[in-house]
Amino acid sequence: MNKEHVENIIRRYENPEGKILGILEDIQETYKYLPKESLEFVSKKLGMPLSKLYSIATFYSFFNLKPVGEHIITVCMGTACHVRGAKDILNNLIELLKIGVNETTEDGKFFLTTEDKHFSLNTARCFGCCSMAPVIRVDDKIFGYVTIKDLPKILKAYGWKSK
Amino acid sequence: MKSKDIQVLINGQEFKAKEGELVIDIARRNGIFIPALCYEESLKPYGACRMCIVEIKNEGVKKKITTSCTLQAFDGLSIETDSEEVLKHRKVLLELYLAQAPNSSKLKELALRYGVNRTRFRQKIRDDDPLNNSCVLCGLCVRVCSEVMSAGVINFIGRGEKTRVNTPYFEQSELCLGCRACAEVCPTGAIEFRDDGDIRIAASWSNTKVELKKCSMCGKYYAPVKLDKKIDTLYYYKDRDDELRDMCPDCRRKAIARKMTLIAENEVEKYAK
Ligand code: SF4
Ligand code: FES
Ligand code: FES
Repeated sequence: MNKEHVENIIRRYENPEGKILGILEDIQETYKYLPKESLEFVSKKLGMPLSKLYSIATFYSFFNLKPVGEHIITVCMGTACHVRGAKDILNNLIELLKIGVNETTEDGKFFLTTEDKHFSLNTARCFGCCSMAPVIRVDDKIFGYVTIKDLPKILKAYGWKSK
Repeated sequence: MKSKDIQVLINGQEFKAKEGELVIDIARRNGIFIPALCYEESLKPYGACRMCIVEIKNEGVKKKITTSCTLQAFDGLSIETDSEEVLKHRKVLLELYLAQAPNSSKLKELALRYGVNRTRFRQKIRDDDPLNNSCVLCGLCVRVCSEVMSAGVINFIGRGEKTRVNTPYFEQSELCLGCRACAEVCPTGAIEFRDDGDIRIAASWSNTKVELKKCSMCGKYYAPVKLDKKIDTLYYYKDRDDELRDMCPDCRRKAIARKMTLIAENEVEKYAK
């Protein structure tokens, strides 16, 4: 973490206490996740207990607390996607990417990263495009009507090599 | 501004009160029991647990069932604390809480009071729960720690079914004063502290350890060092007797009594002469 950079982020906000989400968002944009030192730094700077920041960071599924892979794959587990087989899509991705099953981080979030840090996999609830269910997102691109057969093709476009 | 004297009816009985007082306070002051999980007089009303619901009997009030810990009294207000409707909701709530915190004997006791001795919902049990599967997530500990003690050691973590209370990153806290205020306010008795020699261990809060202070008289460990310092910075009064400063409450009481007797004896002697 670069102290000066985070300091600049904080400075961008006029009333930092009320803009904590914005600050965390900006930090995540830089580092792709919220490094522990950055939360500690913000806590000190704003005089806000770390417990509060950690609470906010773990409340929103948007925030990552662990380093993430180059590409982030998010599987929608909303109701519509669920009934159209989101679970199978997720399990298949876990298999293709060869990452641990049923692993959750201590903060209770589902978040897996491949060993080579190329992909991260997580889940979310409803992207708001249920008509295209099941839906997955890679970085900021949405893929609709996904089938298990499509997955290798999608992954390859992001540099995945089947082993 | 002085608030108006008013009359309210609780279960058909008339009581004097001040306008704007919380109904739960009026009831408790008059010995009427209203169950509550998330209410604590020293904190702002929160209205999260819904345990304290009452039924408003006045004509023309749309919302009949409401939480008495947020309901402000007005003249002529008439409520019932255990109406059929209230009991119906409260019983379901108790079942839900029993599922959330199946291990709390305090909660079981409260449930029994309403004839609830089982839950139809799936019980949430985690093997390594530092809160002993007894936490109903009322938030009192979180609020007392930050709002009253200004320590902010703990907070909610995660959300939904996985929500729990603990220290950030589940690591030992450097901010904890060891004051035990959280355990004091916890309605379900979920929070565990343990004293071991000169160390107090907040077992529920990631085994956070705080140092205890030794009584200069009897040698007993009686209060966390950090808490003692905090009290000093908040309420330091110069004439606080330095001799008494490092004594446990028991020894302090004795020391003060001894001094007073000495003074009294001197006085008596003076008169006798
Ligand atoms: S530990 Fe006790 S006080 Fe804290 S949220 Fe749980 S039930 Fe409430
Ligand atoms: S449920 Fe997946 S987009 Fe709505
Ligand atoms: S005590 Fe009133 S809602 Fe919890």
